[in-house]
Amino acid sequence: MTVWRNRKPLEREMGENTQDGTPGSWFTFTIPHGIKYDRTWLMNSIQRHCSVPFTPVDFHLVKNVAQFFVQEASTACALLDVSYKIRDEESRKVCIPVFVSLSAVPYSVQYKLKSGEMEQLELTLIKRFDVSKQALDLQRLCVDPGTADSSNSRASCMAATLQVIEKNFPELLSLNLSSNKLYQLDGLSDIIQMAPTVKILNLSNKELTSVWELSKMQGLKLEELWLQGNPLCDTIPDQSTYVRAIRECLPKLLRLDGQELTSPVTVDVDTPYMVKPCKRSFLGSDELKSLVLQILQQQKSVLSEACGTGPFGQNTVMVVDHLEEERKVGVLSQVILVRGALIMNLCAYFKDRRNMKKLKDPYLRVQLLKHTKHVIVHTLCVLPKTQHDFSSFVVDTWFQTQMMLCFSVCGVFKAVEGSSQGCVRSFTWTFIANPAGYC
Amino acid sequence: MAKPMDFKIYVDQACRAAEEFVSIYYETMDKRRQALTRLYLDKATLVWNGNVVTGLEALTKFFDTLPSSEFQVNMLDCQPVHEQATQSQATVLVVTSGTVKFDGNRQHYFNQNFLLTAQSTPDIVWKIASDCFRFQDWGSS
Repeated sequence: MTVWRNRKPLEREMGENTQDGTPGSWFTFTIPHGIKYDRTWLMNSIQRHCSVPFTPVDFHLVKNVAQFFVQEASTACALLDVSYKIRDEESRKVCIPVFVSLSAVPYSVQYKLKSGEMEQLELTLIKRFDVSKQALDLQRLCVDPGTADSSNSRASCMAATLQVIEKNFPELLSLNLSSNKLYQLDGLSDIIQMAPTVKILNLSNKELTSVWELSKMQGLKLEELWLQGNPLCDTIPDQSTYVRAIRECLPKLLRLDGQELTSPVTVDVDTPYMVKPCKRSFLGSDELKSLVLQILQQQKSVLSEACGTGPFGQNTVMVVDHLEEERKVGVLSQVILVRGALIMNLCAYFKDRRNMKKLKDPYLRVQLLKHTKHVIVHTLCVLPKTQHDFSSFVVDTWFQTQMMLCFSVCGVFKAVEGSSQGCVRSFTWTFIANPAGYC
Repeated sequence: MAKPMDFKIYVDQACRAAEEFVSIYYETMDKRRQALTRLYLDKATLVWNGNVVTGLEALTKFFDTLPSSEFQVNMLDCQPVHEQATQSQATVLVVTSGTVKFDGNRQHYFNQNFLLTAQSTPDIVWKIASDCFRFQDWGSS
């Protein structure tokens, strides 16, 4: 199939064709990545740029590519000019190319139902419609005496059915298409336009061979889907892979093949809901809890004084680091290793930041690590006074062995003197404590 | 009492391990989530915003259910944990802070601490013994 990118060769071909006398041949227009664009917007944009009015027939998607058919050769030429003229909606400089090729007559035109057949179809469908559930049962429609059963008419049957649905059952909720020998879901992609309210779809016992067929259903907000008995179920051996693949195509799906799916993890923009809601302090066993609280009590008393000097061991190391001043509510963390005694406190420190991301000098890195008791006490006394909000403390005890207890405390405090007086900052302290008695 | 020279070596080693580890960890978390549990010890614990997850199996399940993430680490610090506390197993405490977006939704500030421990068979490999993660959303709550 030849694909033309610009007018001249197309016109030449046209010339040849019309000489043959073939009236109005059909052309397929292809838009790569057509799936990205909203169909109405795309068609309107093309129409805007095209000098000749045209009616696209059978607009459908094949994987990422959008395709539609156009009849007249002259229209086809005009449309070709549109190529690369349409800009992406976000007005990035991405132009949408449009390719043309000569094609056979599109399905819907080829297999249009005759009017008599149409009425018969309508009657059949009305019989199968259940008003209370807004459900349409089209099971084995092909073998229903009301419809002609031949491979050609199946496609037109689908299109016609959709038209009837659009006309008669505008609020259709459930559609049962099982046992209907559908190999592809092309015709069904129009469902999104014709019956946008469908939430329950039964496609079992058909001939669907690949999961990506379902991606054509993406426009529908499907909640329930039945796919049993399709060859595609056999191609995926593992149940969970199968479920995941379907879910990738249809993320809002709640029930598959009659089974409730575990609720998908969605994070709502309005009310942030994580997989596990954020809990308050995790303090571990009761023993630990009392230990930690004891430590914090010492803290409290120490913090309310001007300069704290809780008991500390010989090789205490303190690291005072990163402080973000850009934000009103800054974050700082300090880490302390205590050896031979229980805790000590920390205060905000403005100058000596030790953010390794910014500090690359290994010598300085060592320098800024406050080591030994003396240095720490000195540093603490020099830090500006603070007032901590004890009610805001959240404590996490996250590691403990016989020799070591690690926990973190976060909360907020206010600097009561110095250049940033009145500023409220958040902090995180991480403690690693050893039992006393080691020296 | 540790001599200044030894101390410097400790710190250097800790810093190097921490930096490398952090970049691998967050990249794996964002782009290769299924490989994340390889960075944890078998009996590692994670305390995630107060929720405890212990053991590799539970960790795998937990990370599977966590939505896709986009981490930006703004602060990183570490220190070697004194050997007496850890019975001579080389341990490093790593503290990170920054922002994270889950599934492209609103940004959260976070703080994370890791206890990294060196496993020396056959090569020195650092694994997480314990992990503590918390959002720092004081401004909004």
